[in-house]
Amino acid sequence: MLAILRDLLRYNLEFRIGLALVAIVLVMAGLSFVSPYPAGDVFVVPPDIPPSITHWLGTTSRGQDVFWQLTLAIRNTLGFGIMVAVLSRVIAIVVGLLAGYSGGWIDRVLMSINDTFIIIPLFPILILFYFVLRDTMSTPLLATIMACLGWAYDARLIRSIALSLKTREFTQTSIFSGMKTHEILAREHLPYVLPIVFSTTMNNMNWSIGIEVTLAVLGFTDINTPTIGGMIYWANQHTALVAGIWWWIAFPVALVAMTFVGLFLLAVSMNEYIDPRSRLARMGGGR
Amino acid sequence: MSGAGDAVPVLQVRDLQAHFRTHYFGVNREVRAVDGVTFEVNRNEIYGLAGESSSGKTTLVKTIAGLLKPPLEMVGGSARFSFLPGWDAIGRAPPEVVRAIRWRHLSYIMQGSMNVLNPLRRVRYSFRDFAWRHLGGSKVEFDARVVAHMERVKLDPSVLDAYPHELSGGMRQRVTIALATICKPDFIIADEPTTALDVVVQKDVLGMIRAIQCEMGSSILFITHDMGVHAALTDRLGIMYAGRLVEDGETPEIFSRPLHPYTRHLIASLPRIGDTEQREGLDGTPPNLAAPPPGCRFHPRCPLAMPVCTTIVPAMVETLPGHRVACHAVNPGMAT
Amino acid sequence: MSAYPAYLAKRLAQFAMVVFIGVNLAFVITHASPIDPVEQSIAVVTSFGSTAPEAIAAMRSSLQELYGLKGTLAEQYLTFWSRVVRGDFGPSLSAFPTPVSALIGRALPWTAGLLIVSTLITWVLGNLLGGLAGYYQRSRTLKLMGVVAMGVHPIPYYIVALLLLIVFGFLWPVLPITGGSAMNLQQGWNWAFVSSVVLHSILPALSLILIGLGSWFLGMRSLVSNIVTEDYVVYAETAGLDSRRVLGSYVMRNALAPQVTGLAMSLGGIFNGAVITEKVFGYPGVGTLLVDAVYAGDYGLVLGVTTVSIIAVSVGVLVIDLLYPLIDPRVELR
Repeated sequence: MLAILRDLLRYNLEFRIGLALVAIVLVMAGLSFVSPYPAGDVFVVPPDIPPSITHWLGTTSRGQDVFWQLTLAIRNTLGFGIMVAVLSRVIAIVVGLLAGYSGGWIDRVLMSINDTFIIIPLFPILILFYFVLRDTMSTPLLATIMACLGWAYDARLIRSIALSLKTREFTQTSIFSGMKTHEILAREHLPYVLPIVFSTTMNNMNWSIGIEVTLAVLGFTDINTPTIGGMIYWANQHTALVAGIWWWIAFPVALVAMTFVGLFLLAVSMNEYIDPRSRLARMGGGR
Repeated sequence: MSGAGDAVPVLQVRDLQAHFRTHYFGVNREVRAVDGVTFEVNRNEIYGLAGESSSGKTTLVKTIAGLLKPPLEMVGGSARFSFLPGWDAIGRAPPEVVRAIRWRHLSYIMQGSMNVLNPLRRVRYSFRDFAWRHLGGSKVEFDARVVAHMERVKLDPSVLDAYPHELSGGMRQRVTIALATICKPDFIIADEPTTALDVVVQKDVLGMIRAIQCEMGSSILFITHDMGVHAALTDRLGIMYAGRLVEDGETPEIFSRPLHPYTRHLIASLPRIGDTEQREGLDGTPPNLAAPPPGCRFHPRCPLAMPVCTTIVPAMVETLPGHRVACHAVNPGMAT
Repeated sequence: MSAYPAYLAKRLAQFAMVVFIGVNLAFVITHASPIDPVEQSIAVVTSFGSTAPEAIAAMRSSLQELYGLKGTLAEQYLTFWSRVVRGDFGPSLSAFPTPVSALIGRALPWTAGLLIVSTLITWVLGNLLGGLAGYYQRSRTLKLMGVVAMGVHPIPYYIVALLLLIVFGFLWPVLPITGGSAMNLQQGWNWAFVSSVVLHSILPALSLILIGLGSWFLGMRSLVSNIVTEDYVVYAETAGLDSRRVLGSYVMRNALAPQVTGLAMSLGGIFNGAVITEKVFGYPGVGTLLVDAVYAGDYGLVLGVTTVSIIAVSVGVLVIDLLYPLIDPRVELR
């Protein structure tokens, strides 16, 4: 895994750009821990000041410093994305490996459920959840719900890899040489599955952050926890664009766009690396 | 039958070189897949190319047919066709000239023939795509010609309306043979056309190739690692080892009097009826072409290896009439 | 074609499964909720002033009737299904006494029109450009397009819609930024109304297209760059076929099948995008209806829109699945 990262860093431009963008976003998130202003408080600074030396990215109509508000918002947003990604990874890996290795009717039933979750439009369902839960809808609860809805696509991917690994020669060799199933999975197959899990994690984070932003903008989340979507929600509530407080919307949008592009580029470059065709070319195989 | 009497060979290959260059995630490699190959194919003959897998056979014919794509590159030498005067390789002629020649004069039966037909296109349309522009005529006339040609390869005309996945392996192979021969080309390259078929179908297909070749007077460059097929089908035979031609001559001559130690090994390893013991294998593995051994590339595995073999590349010399070999043990003192 | 009946049965079973799980999900979510929608609605009404206790009791009873919350859970479940089958979700609370089905019926053509047109444009354009980019890998223009696609593709619908709103609403106000048509026009097949509808749909459609384009472009490009190494493409090139014929009938044609499957798989996601895009541009479709229903606390309308949109998306998927064998005759492989 480390060697893969080193190779990518050395030879892949997309990976380097993606890493740089994600690093900037992470530094921003980290700065939230040294924020001079308490996170939830309003009217701690004079409102509606454009970007200046004292307030780098200006202040909001609610009297918050945009820069420091942003550091906390991106931290929460990233945390949300990671939470969804980790939970849905667990489901996706279990379902994918189970379906791939068992085959037969287990595979058919699981994949049928899987396809159902791919087809169903999730947004109305999430809105329905918010509608019935209202104020009890907290960020961890939303993350859990989204993880339960958003695993299907990656489960299919992991299943296809499990299927191909099962029929590979080295699996048979390992079985004949007396390795136990969990040993085979951990030692022989995990190195193949991990890069895929990594790249789907990035894509899944993009997906969940995108939906969180959208829900928050509509006011369908816990709007008292500052997130990127929440910031845009409050800016809209104060008609920031009409009032000319453009920095209140422009900087959150720019930062979240950086996050998306960064994570996406990481996923793409990883995918390119694990594509069997390019792997073959790297090893000088083929004819 | 032998075409040796004909004046101008259909194909003349001189010192052909093709290298495989890759640059990926920091790993640079240059593989000399074809390294100085010289031979000729005469009119109305089947020339066989033999050798282990990865000995460069497929790269050689791709270079000859002008089908190299990066990272493969033709580096030097020439491969002249009699029907393409004025150009020393197809890959160097302008695209419109090449397009006019392909399939009309030069056709190809590819390795992995199972997948050479477009899975989403009915067989009839493949024929139209490939041959109509060369044969001309109205759609009805052309279709009639295709049907007549299908009968020649013992295929029912209903096959024309099938999709490839609806046909058996043998039928698909016959369709590709029909496709490759319908324009009556001067030269056909057949790269392992029967490898994926079972033995009975294989025999059938080989007989068909021979029959059509006789009827049309075409020349065929036939590649397979299967020495049994060469013995049954080809007129002349070239043996490749690690990107180089090590011996060539008339097939019966090669089989009765093999000169190169590698050829002897190939022939000796053919199973015969009445065998009771396992045949002797060859020690070692084919060389890594990214860093081939100096001198004769066969020397690390050769039972006759001498000090000179490790440093000097043996020249291809006509040792017997029409029979060339590149080996210091056979031709002492001959070097390139 | 002998495999077609089996294929058909499989697709129909999948369709039934999606509808079944979707409707059940809607039922479970609404009935497992800690909040009683009846009490909530009463709270909304009574917050405007004090109401007599008998009136509240009567209201409670009729609301329970209305929401299908009378009787045991099993009875409620059956009531729910019978309503779904009849397409009857009772009257809307926020637009009383208009039935929910009438509101949805009014909004559905707007969403369907916007989605079908923009999805078709996106799909055709994205696949065409992506296919070219995969085939002509050395073209600088197409390479640049790939970079742009990579940059735009991961950005969510809302952000793009917002950016378009800023550009065309504030910086360069040339297009209408809200509504489905001009207010003062007679609805019908007259030029003024139709042109107004088209004009109003440009921005929402554009934001859907901009986002969708990237994923089709990137997907098709990588598909095509794999297909060009397939034996049948190499063979066709070997035979000296016209490169346009190879690109059309051998490369693009064969990459189309997985992209059609991809379209079916992504309809749900496209619908998600439509909800927020409609809301941003105040487009009178199902998405706006849904969001406004949540704001208004209209239980019947939210449930109705959710159920209808799940069924509508699965019907869309089913239609694509049934057409699929026209594109790829090898149905037994699916």
